[in-house]
Amino acid sequence: MADIKNKINLLKSLILGLGIIFSALNLTALCFAKELSFEASVDRNKLSLGDSLQLSLSFNNAQNMPAPELSNIEGFQSRYLGPSTMMSIVNGKVSSSITHNYLLLPLKLGVFKIGPFKFEHNGDKYTSNQINIEVLKSQAQIPAQSGSQEEPMQVKDLNDRLFVIIQARKNKAYLNETVPLTIKLYVNKLGIRDIQYPEFNHEGFSLGALDKPNQYQEVRNGINFDVIEFNTSIFGLRPGEFKLGPAQIKCNLIVRKQPKRGPDIFDDFFGRYETYPLDLKSGDIPFVVLPLPQENRPVDFSGALGSFSFEAEAAPVEVKLGDPVILKMVVSGEGNFNTVGAPKLKSETGFKVYEPQIRQDVNAKSFEQIIMPVSLEIKEIPALSFNFFDTGSGEYKTVSRGPFPVKILKPEKEEEVRIVENKQLIPPAAVIKEEKLGKDIIYIKDNPGRIRKKNAYLYNNKVFLGCQLVPLFLYLFTVLVYTKRQRLKTDVKYARGLLAPRKARAGIRQARKYLDKAEARKFCDILFLTMQEYLGDKFHLSSKGITISVIDEHLRKEGVAEEILDKLKVIFKECDMVRYSSSQLSRENMWDSLKKLEEVIDYLQRRRE
Amino acid sequence: MKKVNLFCLSIFIIGVFFVISCIPCSFAQEAEVNTPGAIFYQANIYYQEAKYAAAIQGYQRLLDLGLESGNLYYNLGNSYFKEGQLGLAVLNYDKAMGFIPNDSDLKSNYNYVLQELNLEPRLFGGWFERSVYSLFKGMTVDALTILLSFIYIVLIVFFTCSLFFNRFKRSIGLSAGILIVLFILSAYALKMKINYLNKFAVVIIKEANAKFEPLENATVYFKLKQGSKVEIVDKADGWYKVRRFDDKLAWVKKDALRN
Repeated sequence: MADIKNKINLLKSLILGLGIIFSALNLTALCFAKELSFEASVDRNKLSLGDSLQLSLSFNNAQNMPAPELSNIEGFQSRYLGPSTMMSIVNGKVSSSITHNYLLLPLKLGVFKIGPFKFEHNGDKYTSNQINIEVLKSQAQIPAQSGSQEEPMQVKDLNDRLFVIIQARKNKAYLNETVPLTIKLYVNKLGIRDIQYPEFNHEGFSLGALDKPNQYQEVRNGINFDVIEFNTSIFGLRPGEFKLGPAQIKCNLIVRKQPKRGPDIFDDFFGRYETYPLDLKSGDIPFVVLPLPQENRPVDFSGALGSFSFEAEAAPVEVKLGDPVILKMVVSGEGNFNTVGAPKLKSETGFKVYEPQIRQDVNAKSFEQIIMPVSLEIKEIPALSFNFFDTGSGEYKTVSRGPFPVKILKPEKEEEVRIVENKQLIPPAAVIKEEKLGKDIIYIKDNPGRIRKKNAYLYNNKVFLGCQLVPLFLYLFTVLVYTKRQRLKTDVKYARGLLAPRKARAGIRQARKYLDKAEARKFCDILFLTMQEYLGDKFHLSSKGITISVIDEHLRKEGVAEEILDKLKVIFKECDMVRYSSSQLSRENMWDSLKKLEEVIDYLQRRRE
Repeated sequence: MKKVNLFCLSIFIIGVFFVISCIPCSFAQEAEVNTPGAIFYQANIYYQEAKYAAAIQGYQRLLDLGLESGNLYYNLGNSYFKEGQLGLAVLNYDKAMGFIPNDSDLKSNYNYVLQELNLEPRLFGGWFERSVYSLFKGMTVDALTILLSFIYIVLIVFFTCSLFFNRFKRSIGLSAGILIVLFILSAYALKMKINYLNKFAVVIIKEANAKFEPLENATVYFKLKQGSKVEIVDKADGWYKVRRFDDKLAWVKKDALRN
């Protein structure tokens, strides 16, 4: 029984759930079936200048609709705040809507009609209703409340209370002539914050940096304004007619938000304000840029424009040759200092001139230039001249300073003139950054080179070493020969001893000839002479004084064998007999004598060796 | 039948000719492949293909054949460098220095590998030895030998001339003196270089312990970095007694050194 009840309850729940889902689906279908309506509304119809109101554009019976873009609404500036959606079921009636909210800021007093707004989506066109809005005077303008004096001019427009102007000191200037330019933001009793630096069209001009703005109060047409002033300068880049501006300043306007329900003590106490971004624009100003006249233009004119004065000095005026002299030059006045170049020396002969160091101030430009005298002949530094175009008078002007007398002294100890480079004067471009190179091994050799056997060095090559002995042997031989020749030249005894056998051989040959012819006398003459000369040369004796007794005595001292002495005696005896006593020698005797002589010579030669 | 036989015979003869002509051809090719130049170029190709181990084998093969050259040692040094064996790279560059001491590539690579090993090129000996070595640094052993031979011959010519020309004898005194000094210095430099060839070794392991005694458990005297050069002054079983550049003597295991 209980089971049946449970099942019935479960079935009921199921039917109820299905019913709810069905109803929901049905309701959704109903919603989409309903017609879309487009409606505009504001949170209030009256407001003061400086306050804001909220405009709501609602699409009923729709959930996804994009925000319509509002075109210019007369008397107002608009800003999109965001969407909000709503769905309600009242007595079974379901309604949904999407609302896009906008903030409207009144720009002037009066009654304005806003709308009807038109919107097109997915081919459907929607048109909203129209709304009347009245913009009243601001409470701040009520003298009793603001406490200020009664203002003579009626402020009807926001643009009368918040605007920008652009002013140039003059509307006509020469090319490159500097003209001061001022942009002012005027604010009358409005809360402004987040003011950005102005931007403006300056085509054809070069614009200087904007200075920090000045703030002050100014009465304009009887109304007291807070003024924020931006100053800069411009100069024309090419001749022609141009327009400067409009200048544009972006800022946020602080507006008081009106409470939706009645006045609240906390609203006044804590303040319900919100910021509204503004893009304020000034008017533009015409400007004419004139070209520089060609008449009387100096040859070395460098383009300086303005009204300038020029001063220069040189120090020290007494220097050693090669020491630096510093030229200090100051160009001051008003004008475009960007166009002011360094004044030039009338002549650079006798000096080494370096590039000047430049310093620019607000109303002056100074140059410090180092020059070095390179000749003792120099007595003065030539005059410096500076020329410019005077924009006031419209003429070219040239200002000269100097010449400056200097005394150049000889350097001590005759030292060389050294030109010392000042690193500060070298332009940064001249400093070459050291290149960082990669590192690795160098590639292999593509050929084996001179391949040879291992350890085949010349120092252990036997042939090479053997060859080294050749010059040594040649030298030793030469020394030997030389020594012998020297001895032959200087040692007569040695020379005679050395020549003795040679002469003896010649004599024996001659004697043999006579022996063959059997001429005994001639044979004995030559035999005796040969023996006499040999013995004289051999023992370094006078050949003419050689007798048997002399030779016998000498040879005995020398220790010559008795047999040899006997042979000598026989030869002497036989020769004397034939030469002095006309006795004849037989052929055999002659041969025997010759033989004996040969034996004696041979003996004596051998003995010597 | 005869025609067929003739045909077979001609085919046989042509075949025999072909085989005979091919045999020397294959021998020639093999011979060409085995020439030192071919082995060297093959090793170079391996190097180009970044097959450094194969390149080392190729170059080493030439050394095993009992051949050597400066370029061979240079390339072998490069290959060892690429293989990360910097000690052996130093050794081979050092050997190449014996052949091509003025080669700028070799100098650059040698300095680079020493830089990689955080080593400085150090000379051994006292100031005189170092000075003499520096004076003749750019000369090979053979060049020094030739220089010595040349000075020797010039001196002999001088002396010979001085025998015969009295005027020459008087004027050659200074020149001969200079030549004799140069001869002595060259001879000393040659002796040093020969000594260097035979006795110097390079540490091929990352760090070698140099000990007071040739024993495993001996105290370490100093450590030798990879690529350091030492002079071998004595040998023991598995150990070398070495002298460092600052004349410190110690024992190092044979495996740690190569010369």
